[in-house]
Amino acid sequence: MTGDLAARPAGGHATGDAGPRPAGEHATGDLAARQAALVAALTSGAAVPHGFDERLVGIARDALLRKRAGEVARAWPLLAADRGDRWPAVFMEWAAARPTNGSLRDGWDLARSLAPRTGPAAAELAAREAAWRYDGISAPVPRGRLSGWARSVRSGALWESGGLWTRLRPKD
Amino acid sequence: MTPYGVGIGWRPEIAGFVAELPGLRFVEVVAESVHADAPVPPGLAALRDRDVAVIPHGVRLSLGGAEPVDPDRVDHLAAVASLLDAPLVSEHIAFVRAGGVEAGHLLPLPRSREAVDAVVANVARTQAALAVPIALEPIAAVFDWPDDELSEAEFLTEILERTDALLLLDIANVYANARNRGTDPLALLDALPLDRIAYCHVAGGAEAGGVYHDTHTHPVPEPVLDLVSALCARCRPPALLLERDGAYPAADTLRAELDAIAAASGYPAVT
Repeated sequence: MTGDLAARPAGGHATGDAGPRPAGEHATGDLAARQAALVAALTSGAAVPHGFDERLVGIARDALLRKRAGEVARAWPLLAADRGDRWPAVFMEWAAARPTNGSLRDGWDLARSLAPRTGPAAAELAAREAAWRYDGISAPVPRGRLSGWARSVRSGALWESGGLWTRLRPKD
Repeated sequence: MTPYGVGIGWRPEIAGFVAELPGLRFVEVVAESVHADAPVPPGLAALRDRDVAVIPHGVRLSLGGAEPVDPDRVDHLAAVASLLDAPLVSEHIAFVRAGGVEAGHLLPLPRSREAVDAVVANVARTQAALAVPIALEPIAAVFDWPDDELSEAEFLTEILERTDALLLLDIANVYANARNRGTDPLALLDALPLDRIAYCHVAGGAEAGGVYHDTHTHPVPEPVLDLVSALCARCRPPALLLERDGAYPAADTLRAELDAIAAASGYPAVT
């Protein structure tokens, strides 16, 4: 009753050569591998697995990147503002083959690669670099005496205002 | 579930608005945003003091993942439910990571026996840690897997029967999927076990690139409200909840959306 891709009027070209099998021959017990292949296509620039509608998977991938662009803009508002209307395109190009490590780290990695030298975006990056130790590989750690401040943010009044902890917290 | 009527997804950005709703009896909070070992966020604590039920809504368990669900994530969900004295929790029939990579979004499952088995096993692992029932939410999917063996209703019904879980039916997802697949949303309603609904989600969306996206950042469209009425004519769910996740409109607009859901379902306005 639902989801018959063959009967769908839009996007009829269900092609793709990443799948190991011809269509219709799906062995049991390979759900993990097939899920991984789909996630790789959506996040890492891998080919769309065999049999999926490439157009629709592409639309889903772009929607996902756009959503990430919005989330990173909330975590790095000055970095995003620095790019103005071009922010979604700038982020989406950078992130197209980079799976998310959470908005804080994604924005941090992008900020380091863009390396703003002056203005609010540079100040935002400098403030983060001063407050947290981030090796580019694992979750940022608050530096020294600031760690106590960071802990207070977790449970304190800033929760009510809704912003800071949500923005700064490293995503697991 | 207790007939709570109309509720709203609690988000820090609209905590002030939610706190002022006089008739409110339930909200939902994203489970992963609550710290299990810290005090209840003040806005939620104030609602609990008013006897407003708070339902933790998980988004990152990955119940549909082929791998066993992460025990730490399950424990967190159970701890948040306990912290909030929640009457139930909810999660999605979806997967969000695979092969160690985060998708960053809820992804659809193939409607296959193998996927049913994976969901059932993960729901059982989750239920073992929970002191309250879990409601499972079917997602909105922009694409489907190429080799579905079961219809959507068969897929969902089998999962619910085998897990004894409740159904969190997202009416906006029903609308989005039917519109994108060219199927009849009423036929799906007629084929689902509506008496298992714990509560419903209602949300807005928009079309882009020829596809309707369930954005939670646009107004609730009229056809979604019509579906709410159609559902309630068949079997009125105990509760319906407005989900808004960004581009928050003025309070009057949010109030009007809550009132429209109340009108469509026949529940009293909470505003």
